[in-house]
Amino acid sequence: MKKVLIGGIGNVLLGDDGVGPYVARLLAAHYEFEDGVEVADLGTPALDLIDQLTANDAVILIDSVSTDADPGTVQLYRKEDIMRVRPAVRMDPHSPALVDAMLSAELFGVAPPDVLLVGIKGESFEPGCSLSKPVKASLDQVIAEILSELDRLGVKHHRRENPEDLGIWWATEERRESLPA
Amino acid sequence: MANRITIDPITRIEGHLRIDVEVDNNAVSNAWASCTMWRGIENIVRGRDPRDAWLFTQRFCGVCTTVHAMASVRSVEDALKLEVPLNAQYIRNLILIAHALHDHIVHFYQLSALDWVDILQIPKADPVATAKLAESLSPWTRNSKTEFKAAQDRVKAVAASGQLGIFMNGYWGHPAMHLSPEVNLLAFTHYIQALEYQRKALQVVGILGGKTPHIQNLTVGGVANAIDLDSTSALDMDKLEMIRVLLDQVVRFVNEVYFVDVCAVAALYPEWFKIGKGVNNYLAVPDLPLDSAGSAYDLPGGYIMNGNIAGVHSFKTASDKDFRDGVSEDVAHAYYHGDKPLHPWKGVTDPDFTGWDGDQKYSWVKAPRFNGAPMQVGPLAQVLVGFAQGHPLTKKYAGKAIETIGAVGHIQVTPGMLESTLGRHGARAIRAAMLAELAQKHLQLLVDNIAKGDYSVHNQPVFPSGEVEGVGTHEAPRGTLSHWVVVKDGKIKNYQAVVPSTWNASPRDASGAHGPYEASLLHTPLARPEEPLEVLRTVHSFDPCMACACHTFDPSGRQIAKVKVL
Repeated sequence: MKKVLIGGIGNVLLGDDGVGPYVARLLAAHYEFEDGVEVADLGTPALDLIDQLTANDAVILIDSVSTDADPGTVQLYRKEDIMRVRPAVRMDPHSPALVDAMLSAELFGVAPPDVLLVGIKGESFEPGCSLSKPVKASLDQVIAEILSELDRLGVKHHRRENPEDLGIWWATEERRESLPA
Repeated sequence: MANRITIDPITRIEGHLRIDVEVDNNAVSNAWASCTMWRGIENIVRGRDPRDAWLFTQRFCGVCTTVHAMASVRSVEDALKLEVPLNAQYIRNLILIAHALHDHIVHFYQLSALDWVDILQIPKADPVATAKLAESLSPWTRNSKTEFKAAQDRVKAVAASGQLGIFMNGYWGHPAMHLSPEVNLLAFTHYIQALEYQRKALQVVGILGGKTPHIQNLTVGGVANAIDLDSTSALDMDKLEMIRVLLDQVVRFVNEVYFVDVCAVAALYPEWFKIGKGVNNYLAVPDLPLDSAGSAYDLPGGYIMNGNIAGVHSFKTASDKDFRDGVSEDVAHAYYHGDKPLHPWKGVTDPDFTGWDGDQKYSWVKAPRFNGAPMQVGPLAQVLVGFAQGHPLTKKYAGKAIETIGAVGHIQVTPGMLESTLGRHGARAIRAAMLAELAQKHLQLLVDNIAKGDYSVHNQPVFPSGEVEGVGTHEAPRGTLSHWVVVKDGKIKNYQAVVPSTWNASPRDASGAHGPYEASLLHTPLARPEEPLEVLRTVHSFDPCMACACHTFDPSGRQIAKVKVL
């Protein structure tokens, strides 16, 4: 059995930064996976992320990214892309958590061999609990990228006939939203 | 002519701490602490159901999730004068203690140890001599030659690969680093081991809280843990036993490794007992309630002004009238509209961004004040406030720290020396040792109470019509946290969080008084201003946590921290 973590990273109170947790819930509500797969809303972890990365064969992370691309653009990164980023001088425990956590996990010998980061360029990070239009429009592609990575890893998944409640408590108006067919 | 140095880990959207210092004759002559992110998150809970507020507030920050959840439910309970059943108090206390132990371990090893430990020296160490040294300091069973050799090999492999990875940004070989190769190896080995033990502490949070990073078991009025000693889906004997086993391991790590390492590093850098004092007004609230009403606590609170330990004032409860009445926030130098300090219940968060200007507005952090004065919060305040009141547990571990540092460094240590950069690390280790002892006590209190047949975990909240106000406090790992709520007809009318790093990272107020980070940096000597390791040492000693913000990944690596010397 493969151990796979699908983790959404981001702050659900800051607009498009909440896309990672949103996707995690969307995925869990609409899909079932074989044993060993965990779908998690990781929030905004700092070095705790090392613990989440540990003891997995593969990790798929969903996070907003800062690039020059248009809002809603989906970009994929592999472990070596993340490891190439120079970590910041640590002023506080957040200084960029993903890079630090990955580099630390590698040093400690616990980093997962397979890592995919599905990055979504955000439009707005102002306080608020909704995703912007371009980011919402990217969700199908984000889900497709995750499923295709699972296929590549040989991990079984299938769509639920009756989707579960999304459980997106932070954005009441979107609780009943479902995936397009 | 003074030089200006800016340390800014930046990014456009992540909220981070920025430090500016002026350097004159290789010493800091002026300092500014600022946060680069607008923190209006509190506005999101307005109009919502007060019973849900904790779900939102625990998303303020990914490091401090639990503490914001706890302060939030306590604020609503305070507004309703709602008591919390004993089991719920003990379960909450255990979560808070386990979270704090995790946080303190991570802070020392992952965030600040490498300010003092020089990675470059590690390959030169003799693992046998390191093991001998370690055995003279502690009974820790993992201080073996094998463990030290393995850790050393890891560093050698990183050095040989040419990919410095996580060590890319250290000031290695800096003249302010002067531990022996063996002490460097000892501390680095524990840096690796610390990862396992902080995780065990988090597992305790997970077992009781349902999951981490965001616990799920809180309710206004108690907790949602079903207690049934015979049901595996509830809190049963097996889970309580698992918690005991995990806590025992964490407690041993704190006492035999973390506490000893902090004392040893402190003993070997005695000059840092004279640096980094800053604001010597100290504030801490009581915590770890021992009864339903919150009238007795295991940890004392109070305040000290101008370093006058003998004149300590004590807080009787976690929402003591002196505390409630004393807190205000000033925005004279923060990017908000407002012309006078406001009490948090009347607080307004109305942004007015004008760009960084050290003479005018320069931070998104408001300036909290207590009776008009800046206050230092955190483990040092917790320890001094306890020590001043003769609190036995504080005195026990403060005494042990003073003795250990004295023995390793052959120096005479006095409680007054704690008011320094190293003192803040020492105080954190003292606090951790206190919490470790209390973890086992509160687990026993919970088990004993359940054994009496009390399975109660929740009291139902009832919201009156009209307006009520409450304050919920928690003496968090970084210091005094308070959430202030105004509830009108069952909905949140106003909400303000005054967080520990706001007290410590506070900008100047209208009178020009520096905040604690700023004041602590004044007069700090810098060996190489272009590599301001000494500034980082003092800032890190507060355990800053400013972010409470976004987590956007930047693949370009453009936005690395910059140190700019003007």
